Amino acid sequence: MKIKIKDKVYDVEISELDKERVKIIVNEKEFIFGEKIGKQEKISTTYTTIPKRSFAKKEIKAPIGGKITEIFVREGEFVKRDQKILILSSMKMENEIISDFAGKVKEILVKENQNVKEEETLIVLT
Amino acid sequence: MLKSKIRNFKTLFSTNQKAKELALGLSPSWTVIVAEKQTGGYGRKGAAWFSPGGGLYFSIILPKSQIEDLQTLTILAAFITAKTIKENFNLEPFIKLPNDVWINGKKIAGILTENIVRPTSGGHPDVKLSIMGIGLNTNIDKFPKELENIATSLKIELGREVDNKKILSQIIEGLKEQLKTISQ
Repeated sequence: MKIKIKDKVYDVEISELDKERVKIIVNEKEFIFGEKIGKQEKISTTYTTIPKRSFAKKEIKAPIGGKITEIFVREGEFVKRDQKILILSSMKMENEIISDFAGKVKEILVKENQNVKEEETLIVLT
Repeated sequence: MLKSKIRNFKTLFSTNQKAKELALGLSPSWTVIVAEKQTGGYGRKGAAWFSPGGGLYFSIILPKSQIEDLQTLTILAAFITAKTIKENFNLEPFIKLPNDVWINGKKIAGILTENIVRPTSGGHPDVKLSIMGIGLNTNIDKFPKELENIATSLKIELGREVDNKKILSQIIEGLKEQLKTISQ
């Protein structure tokens, strides 16, 4: 979601890590709340490593024709480079497709059990 | 020719899984993982592969290759397995494409290649890892009821035991030869 504060728009994503911790990402900066140390609450922050590569479209394409048998990501989810995205079964092989980029899954263009052609775009990241 | 390193295990969940794990841990190509039995052997789409003691179950860490070559090699693996059976035992195997070998209308071997591929924008896909698993029903006496009409073994067909080690090395050498021809 986007939050506007004094004309500045922040891209915010909130997710629950477990029962006690919440992860909030604000413009690619990651905050984790809820890790209790004694009476104090520790807030840890890290930067997610999302490279700015605006020159290339972040599309994951089928390296070979086949059938999508399993999809491991959901729209809106952040993925890392080399993260397992889906399984593409070609007639003779099962191919675990991993991401060439880090980014947020903008669009999943295929469904499980769908046949795809070589070079067909499967997933778009932002 | 590159030597293959054979690693023998008594029991594995799956030789393909072990091979993947070892390949990610940088075990060299042509490392061969052999298990006397598998507790979770699987074929394409996760279908179970009956893997009791007596059968030949192995996975090979393949050298870095183009995805198209891996596809060709997988088809060739079925031919090599069939050829090994035919030449050693004078049986008439039948190749059920894409990757099974049958004898007398029943399945005797299956092949599953698994790759980890990173499609790159504009370039050739980067194949990070490839393993090929082969399950061959060699010295299996009997199949469970639900499989006995669809699966067979060399022992059932021949009425005698066969040498798993010899068959293994023939198939590996055959694959090496083929990969040399297709990837150069």
